[in-house]
Amino acid sequence: MKKKVLSLILAGTMTLGLALTGCGGSDGGGSGSGEGTPAAEDAGSDESSGDSGDKPYAGVTLKWWAGNAENNPGTQAVMEAATEKLGMEFEVEVNPGGSEGDNIIKTRMASGDLPDFMAYNSGSKLYDLNPSRGFMDISDWEIVDKFDDAFLSSVTIDGAVYGAPQSSTQAGAVIYYKPDYEELKLEVPHTWDEFVDNCKTLADAGKTPVYFTGGETWATQVLFLGDYYNIAAANPTFADDYTEGKAKYADVPEATRSWTKYEDLVDYLNADKSAATVTDGNFAIATGEATHWFILTQQLPLILENVEDPDDIGVFGVPGDDADDHGLTVWEPMSWYVNKDTENVDAIKAFFEFYYSEEALDLYFGTYGANGPSCIKGYELPDSVCSAVRVDMQKYFDDGKTVPALEYQSPIKGTTCEQMTTAVGLGQMSGEEAAAMYDDDCKKSAVQLGYDWE
Amino acid sequence: MKTKKERSMYPVWFVLPSLIIFVVFFLWPIVSSLYYSLTVWNFETAKFCGLDNYKLFFSEHSMSSSVVHTLIYAFGTSALKVILAFFIAIFLTSKIKTKGFIRSAVFFPNLVSMMAVGLAFSYMMHPTKGLLNMPIQALGGTPIDFLGDPKTALLSIILTDVWKGLSISVVIYIAGIQSIDKTYYEAASIDGATGWQQLKHITLPLVAPSQNSIIILSLIGGLRSFDLIWAMTGGGPGFSTDVLASVIYKQYAAGFYGLSTAGNVVMLILISVIAFPLQHFLNKREEAIQG
Repeated sequence: MKKKVLSLILAGTMTLGLALTGCGGSDGGGSGSGEGTPAAEDAGSDESSGDSGDKPYAGVTLKWWAGNAENNPGTQAVMEAATEKLGMEFEVEVNPGGSEGDNIIKTRMASGDLPDFMAYNSGSKLYDLNPSRGFMDISDWEIVDKFDDAFLSSVTIDGAVYGAPQSSTQAGAVIYYKPDYEELKLEVPHTWDEFVDNCKTLADAGKTPVYFTGGETWATQVLFLGDYYNIAAANPTFADDYTEGKAKYADVPEATRSWTKYEDLVDYLNADKSAATVTDGNFAIATGEATHWFILTQQLPLILENVEDPDDIGVFGVPGDDADDHGLTVWEPMSWYVNKDTENVDAIKAFFEFYYSEEALDLYFGTYGANGPSCIKGYELPDSVCSAVRVDMQKYFDDGKTVPALEYQSPIKGTTCEQMTTAVGLGQMSGEEAAAMYDDDCKKSAVQLGYDWE
Repeated sequence: MKTKKERSMYPVWFVLPSLIIFVVFFLWPIVSSLYYSLTVWNFETAKFCGLDNYKLFFSEHSMSSSVVHTLIYAFGTSALKVILAFFIAIFLTSKIKTKGFIRSAVFFPNLVSMMAVGLAFSYMMHPTKGLLNMPIQALGGTPIDFLGDPKTALLSIILTDVWKGLSISVVIYIAGIQSIDKTYYEAASIDGATGWQQLKHITLPLVAPSQNSIIILSLIGGLRSFDLIWAMTGGGPGFSTDVLASVIYKQYAAGFYGLSTAGNVVMLILISVIAFPLQHFLNKREEAIQG
């Protein structure tokens, strides 16, 4: 009996202790972030007044949240520089990304448990999130004037601007290994037929013409999504008609083509096409194990890590049927969003002012590289950025042959898109079948978003 | 009068704590999910929409194939476990020297988490670099794309599930076999029964209670299985290994909360429709054998 009482008391004190330290911890954190700034300034002025002026935010810790792609050496270098210059510390939490990451952000937004700032998609996925309940409207911040209009439109909802670009723009395009083209004297294809011919030549020469990553299904969508330039070029009103339920993938010939293009490539893929991952793809293109890869150009910096000569890697848009109208489907970058309930607005504002200074941008792109041309008005990428971005991609931008991806023009996207592109790519389903199935899938999304499709 | 009343209240206090827990954590979620399955809801608002979610759920193109996959998966894993585990348990209760070691070796897979097993096996089944394909390639065969080919993908996951889940069934069987009275075997061997006859006419009928628990447990486990499939193929390639639970998860992940709640209700009903009659049937059979 005595033992039982004793153990009860022990257990009670332990839980109580835990609860108390828990409270103490968060209390300490709160006061640290709230009152830490003046305290630090006081301390600074006691010793050397110059220090406090240089580092107005010493003692502030900003919690941020991002995927592995955003928590890259470039971001880290900029944050280190900000700590040195402004004093605030950063604490990262890495988010798994994909639909799992979406779930986490939705749940945490609903429970009011967001970090100080975080990276998330712009465009239709932001719209899905209903950002006004968790993100701060930053339209009155000075940095907003620096962003170009295409980017701003991807983070503006009902007149409120929520996001700031995490990186540069990127494209859904073909990344290719140039030495193979030089060896076989191939030309960059401007039509889909030329592209398939190139694949045939490469296959005859014993090379793997196209890399396919069935082990990481999101990446298989890029051919389909990146082909949007060709749909839009032939049907300028496609996005609106599609949103209203009038244009269907199975009915618009160019849109059906986006699906049947997978069929044309079935014989030209890598042997481990069903299991290969994006990391495998980075390596395969960098070393010339495969020649082409339909992928977002956000992979360029990662591919370049394994490459011998950065100029070996090139980029071209998904070819269509018109050789004179070969364009690029462009994605706006991931964006930074600020928690609307954060206690550290001033520190975050100061950090972002620094983030978009020429110095910090050079530091970011110089350290990590760029995924595409920048969306900061008047900013030129440093020379260290690879030729795939500065020459190959820039050409499309200079010629005006770019179109924003469909997800920036319509909130509707079928939820099983990546399963279907994988199935068609592996030759398990015909392109026409997939196009019709995808229309059904989009209808479901439209109904859930409150659109009236019939 | 007074004592009678006190007596009737007294036991209630003992039941009350567990009753509250049951109502709050089991009954209430089921009732509220029934309601939410009739609405379009996000975390803040819910709009009543009648049976639309159910209609939409059943019109899903991957729906019918996912029900078929779920049934194949549940009955496949359950049957294999019931049969294989029986023979392993017979072997492990016989007079062998390293019994203790083999028993723990058989139980070992169950200690590893489902996700880890799924990831490990999906690496082993990699079409070009996988451990399982290496001997095939070394012998000059064409490598098998275990998880990438729709024909073999579901089977590969079923076999992995059996590898991992077999041990629990073995343990239940061993307990059942050991509780059989030894005198039956003595009497039978005096009468000249062979080992096979003893197995068929003594062991098999008398482990029926354990067998029934194994059937029910593994079948229900198979019907709602999700983690292994998600770790190994994510329902792919395409939709060829999609089961009910993975379809529901994908709908939830897409933000269709009402729709996925409706899916869960459908799954609850499906499992009940299969499990309750089956249990009833098995109990009847058990009584018939032992009566």
